[in-house]
Amino acid sequence: MTSYSKEIIRDLASGQLPWPQTRRIMSAYKDDDRFFKMVAVYQDRVAWNDPILLPVSDHLFICQSGDERITRCECGHSFGDYRKNWKLKAAIHVRNTEETLREIYPNSDLPDPEWMEIREFICPQCGTLHEVEAAAPGYPIVHDFEPDLEGFYRDWLGKPLQP
Amino acid sequence: MLDKPASAMRLRERLLDSERLMDETGCYDGITELSLRNQDPLKFETLHTKLRAYCVSAREMARRISASPGVREVGEMVVAIYTPEGDAIALSNGIMVHVHTMSRFIKWMIKNGYEDNPRIREGDIFANNDAFIGTVQVPDVMDVVPIFYEGTLVGWAGAVCHELEAGGITPGGDVCLAQERFTEGLFVCAEKIGENDEIRRDYVIRCERNLRMPIYWVLDEKAKVASCIDMRESVKQLISEIGLDCWMQVSKEFIEEGRRAQLARTRQLTVPGIYRGHTFYGHVTAGKPGFQPLGDPDWLYNIPIEMEIGTDGKITMDFEGTQPWGYHSMNCTPAGMDGGMFVTLTQHMNFEGLVNDGAWMATELKLPHGTWTNPDNEMVATATSWALLLPAYGVFQRLLSRSFVARGYVEEAFVGQVNSPMIEMGGESQYGTPFGMAHFECAAAGSGALAIKDGLDTAYVGWNPESDMGNIEVWEQSMPMVYIGRSIVPNSGGAGKYRGGCSFVSTWLINKTSHLRLHTSEHSSRVFDNGGMCGGYPAPTCQKHRAVRNSNIHELAAKGEPLAHAPGTDPHVSDYERNIAGDHVVVEGPYITAPHKEGDIFSHSYNGGGGYGDVLERDPVKTAWDVENGFLTREAADQVFGIVLKDDAEGYPLADIDATVKRRAAMRKERLAKAIPVADWIAAERGRIEKADFAPEVRKMYASAIKLSSRFTRDFSDFWNVDARSIFTPGAKP
Repeated sequence: MTSYSKEIIRDLASGQLPWPQTRRIMSAYKDDDRFFKMVAVYQDRVAWNDPILLPVSDHLFICQSGDERITRCECGHSFGDYRKNWKLKAAIHVRNTEETLREIYPNSDLPDPEWMEIREFICPQCGTLHEVEAAAPGYPIVHDFEPDLEGFYRDWLGKPLQP
Repeated sequence: MLDKPASAMRLRERLLDSERLMDETGCYDGITELSLRNQDPLKFETLHTKLRAYCVSAREMARRISASPGVREVGEMVVAIYTPEGDAIALSNGIMVHVHTMSRFIKWMIKNGYEDNPRIREGDIFANNDAFIGTVQVPDVMDVVPIFYEGTLVGWAGAVCHELEAGGITPGGDVCLAQERFTEGLFVCAEKIGENDEIRRDYVIRCERNLRMPIYWVLDEKAKVASCIDMRESVKQLISEIGLDCWMQVSKEFIEEGRRAQLARTRQLTVPGIYRGHTFYGHVTAGKPGFQPLGDPDWLYNIPIEMEIGTDGKITMDFEGTQPWGYHSMNCTPAGMDGGMFVTLTQHMNFEGLVNDGAWMATELKLPHGTWTNPDNEMVATATSWALLLPAYGVFQRLLSRSFVARGYVEEAFVGQVNSPMIEMGGESQYGTPFGMAHFECAAAGSGALAIKDGLDTAYVGWNPESDMGNIEVWEQSMPMVYIGRSIVPNSGGAGKYRGGCSFVSTWLINKTSHLRLHTSEHSSRVFDNGGMCGGYPAPTCQKHRAVRNSNIHELAAKGEPLAHAPGTDPHVSDYERNIAGDHVVVEGPYITAPHKEGDIFSHSYNGGGGYGDVLERDPVKTAWDVENGFLTREAADQVFGIVLKDDAEGYPLADIDATVKRRAAMRKERLAKAIPVADWIAAERGRIEKADFAPEVRKMYASAIKLSSRFTRDFSDFWNVDARSIFTPGAKP
């Protein structure tokens, strides 16, 4: 069975693994022990102790926090119950003028702010930009991901979560 | 009639029985056990590898028969081998989107009584380019031939080429001005076009008299038929070695194995749950010549997708909430939507083992009736369906990628494909003859970023994983234009920790013609039709077209003065305007204007891909390299990425790490200072929602989605705590 060291997985996740090695990993059969190794890599990365249950974005994790399962930023900020849309607890900056769009697209043709705005969802504690939506004005904020956490641990990982 | 089907049943009954068995057992054709695979796994794999080799070899041979630079240079072709019921067993590389659309074509013929009339016999050749029967768009012309072994139908061989000219209302293959089926060009609707391995002369005459450039289509037909015969004879030889019973069993086990492998890979690579995303597409045609007053001149489409991954590994993708079909060329049929799903799966999950229709059987598409994904009117045009299909499947790739990130397979996460707008042309060639052609250098857009590295520059499109822009010199042989520039578009990849792949822009001098029609319609106007991921920004994909009529370029060249080879990086004044005199044209939306002539200049840019991750985490050293090589401007490095560059002794950009750290800390603070809690933003926006204070096209988009989808209506109403129906469709019946 294919398997890699935690150090290799750490370097892969951080984009530091040399390309030839990365390419071999991409072409090889997948390492079935990846999930828990990757979770361990992320756990080392964060300064808090809540066990990570699932990464959901580049710096967002669902973790077990006491009796609750919450979405937490790498910096430690909690976005609350993981079943709720974390974006609703984020800070937002909306680019809906030519001037603010131009800040991100200094040399390109721009969208019409009457037709499209850029929404930046930011951690209110550390300022990390977690997600960007390009949407028509008035479009509801999208709930990107509702994982079947119990089903995943029970049926796919064979390690049911404690209720 | 069909002489001897493989079973005693007639083919139609056999097909229906196969579908019934799938429904009852959940397994392809009722194959609940892979007995041949279990008996001899090595032989099983070897046989499939042989079939794949037959396909790859037949396609390569056929490409050398074709006259089309689209097929020869860019590889716009795919071939496959099918069961008698029309399910793909093995396929070549190339435009794999069509492996499943051809499957639909074969099944359509079977279900429509072709056994009796026009009959299915050894040596017959059937062709189709009708998307409601089974293709994506009119230029995707497919040929299939039945494979008989000792009088028994044992399968089909099929091939598709994308034609560069389809004889529609505007020249080229993606007939951008088509607003109904009747303007899309030459339709071949599941026709028998040949017998005894020979294409009928009357069919060739029809092609010759209805196309602007029949040499492409007709030679592609010969290339496809040659590849089909080649595969057919190889399969017959194989059957003579392994026996007919073994063939009939193993070919079905290959598909069932493919289905099971797809489910297993989903369980291996993803996380079950519900994933959501969306994109948009804008079309601006008000006042443009040639558009009939059938539909709205300007429109905005939303493309929301909800993907569910069940714990059984099945992937279901639902397009509920998207827009109705319209009188434009961008509608798609279920066959095209299936094809998009299939080609995407082959790139992300179904990339090893037995690649075939089994993967498609492990998925489900929900395509709401009456929308652009499943029109309830078969008169609609689908000539440029890729314009919506590519952005839609870019969303699918982002949804899949989120599941890969969640599962820890970050190296598989990919921000996705983008639309790659084609230019098309026709009129008088450089040789003084009538011509028409789609320019296929579009098959090399920038890809979305990966979760561990930047996207590919000018090297990826979703419909053909073997992307290629083709050589300039070959394209110049085929059109009355010469290149005066082909270069990277700086900042065309979406910004992020990893930027999207960059696109390129071509600039041409129109040459040796007094009449060149140039058209392009597939750039989304006023909105980006792609997205970023995990903090990355979308790529800037709503680009305008720039041209210079009556330019003084020959005078400049004679004097040795500088020309302009690209639009440059000033969005307000292009380098064409700076360096070249003439009538400067900037067009938003489809480029559909009066013919060009010798001495005019035209430019067209393709699209880059979306970015991944927070821009403030981008590697400063890599960014300096990007600036040095023209992938990013200094302005963007500083303003967007917060990277301070200085010059080294030789004047090359060098990252100032200390200054960058300080600048980024300041930018982070600035970010927080500008941002407000989402709850406050929602409260403030709600008033605007209640008044429907939006541009007319935005209001229309909401009204259309609400009319078609109770779920969209409910979700919109719940989110904003309003009654969406009364706001956007007042007076309408609930």
